[in-house]
Amino acid sequence: MTLVFIQLRNELHKLFARKRTHLGFAAFLAVEVLILFLLNLPKPKAGFRRLIEQNGYGFDQYFSGSTLALLILMWTTFLLGALYLALVAGDVVAKEVEDGTLRMILCRPVSRLRVGLLKYAACVLYTLVLALFIGLTALLAGLAYRGWGGLFVIAPQEHLLALYDAWPGLWRYLAALPLLALSLVSISSMGFLFSCCNMKPAAATILTLSIFFFDSIFRNIPYFESLQGWFMTAHMAAWLHVFEYHIPWWRMAEDYTLLLALDTTFALLGLAILHQRDFKA
Amino acid sequence: MIRLEHLSKTFKKRRALDDLSLEIQESEIFGLLGHNGAGKSTTFGMLLGQIYPSAGEAFIRGVSVQQDRQRALRGVGAIFEEPAFHDYLSGWDNLRILTSYTARLPEEELREAVRFTGLENRIHDPVRVYSHGMRQRLALAQALLPRPELILLDEPAEGLDPEGIHEMRQLILRLNREHGMTVVLSSHLLAEVEQLCDRVAILNQGRLIFKGHWNELTAAATQGHRLDVDDWEKAEVVIKSLGASRLTDDTIALAPDGDMADLVAALVTAGVRVRAVEPVRRNLEEIYLNAISDASRS
Repeated sequence: MTLVFIQLRNELHKLFARKRTHLGFAAFLAVEVLILFLLNLPKPKAGFRRLIEQNGYGFDQYFSGSTLALLILMWTTFLLGALYLALVAGDVVAKEVEDGTLRMILCRPVSRLRVGLLKYAACVLYTLVLALFIGLTALLAGLAYRGWGGLFVIAPQEHLLALYDAWPGLWRYLAALPLLALSLVSISSMGFLFSCCNMKPAAATILTLSIFFFDSIFRNIPYFESLQGWFMTAHMAAWLHVFEYHIPWWRMAEDYTLLLALDTTFALLGLAILHQRDFKA
Repeated sequence: MIRLEHLSKTFKKRRALDDLSLEIQESEIFGLLGHNGAGKSTTFGMLLGQIYPSAGEAFIRGVSVQQDRQRALRGVGAIFEEPAFHDYLSGWDNLRILTSYTARLPEEELREAVRFTGLENRIHDPVRVYSHGMRQRLALAQALLPRPELILLDEPAEGLDPEGIHEMRQLILRLNREHGMTVVLSSHLLAEVEQLCDRVAILNQGRLIFKGHWNELTAAATQGHRLDVDDWEKAEVVIKSLGASRLTDDTIALAPDGDMADLVAALVTAGVRVRAVEPVRRNLEEIYLNAISDASRS
């Protein structure tokens, strides 16, 4: 294994060995179970039945494991996922500066650029693992709770309503996971940028979350409909296009290119700030 | 080994270091003395490339830290006043992670450093249960990996109990004597510096106020000589005849070009029995404070 992979493995070890990580992953499981429980309460279930049946489809066929998994995925990643990724990325450099462990690293003949890139790469990998974890555990929980069946997709913000048979639905669900992970990398990248600035870890997290939620709220205000392209969260929702009957590949490519450019900008800005900062006790 | 050329650093409006130039030779133990905020840690930060100087440059083995930090820091180990580790990981994991930023080291080399610092029985415990002394020893172990030629120690005895201070001192001496390492040590513990260092520099408010051998500093601080003679009346005549003066009942000050050997000879010739002669020195604190107040006045 080359040195850079050993260093990356060590960065990941630092992230995954924290008790907070285990608690966080456990919290996601708990939220998934909670959502399943709430969706099976009589009133929410009746509402869902109405929604499916009004569209002329059978409730029992489409109120299935994959439908529940998709609902869990949409709600948990938006709320808890954003919070958790902002927390991890906001900490990744700032916490090490605050604790003094970054100074210990910077006693060594390693460039700041390399240290920064390793930390950013660890953040990105962490995001991918988290998205896959939520997606797969939501699917398993949904299947265990409601069993096999068609996929009912409803996302009013994206003007999306679609129904699929079990297998096509499952494939689309699985295809959406890596794309969701890519979308979430933008939150991590923003968190990384603020983490590299001269601020406390909590401030980096709060700033990241504030921007994410403001962006998300403003995007949904009808007056700003014409400005959709300027909102980061509008592009982050591109993973949902996988559930359209005719997947708009070109539009998705545009969205992800833009997100990639944004992520690269965040990362480069973070690295530049990290490079020019003084680190003192 | 180290050359500092006109290093200055200003943080916002505060001058932390002002035109510091120093040379530190290979295989010596060099002390950087100064009170808190004198500029010692800033100097270390610049030597390690963690703080950018506002002016000047630092060289290690002729390589500029500011121009080529990675090459300059090859063969350099460092520890800080408050060594920081990932508390939730074991000492071993911390060592493995930190050393991976330098090179891929064989486990035997890590174990050797652990043995040297006496941590072998606790190295797999989480760092959060370590005492301050153990953390300092872990810090020293990581600084020794891979084996450095130069080791920078920022307040290594800070917070240690007397036994810990003694152990740390012995470790530093062994590193220098047995392994030929150059040691640069910053401290505000004067006795620590006196016992370890060949040469010292004193910083005050970011300015260099003394550099040289420790004994130059202490020699300059000699405050007369204590004399034990049988007849002070006779002795005083001799003392005055040689241009010396009596300071207290049993203390005299020599003339500026006077020599104690001449005075003793004259006393004996005059029939005065000299039982003892010893130089009277100010204690370390007085020497240090005197150097600082002299610098402040100038």
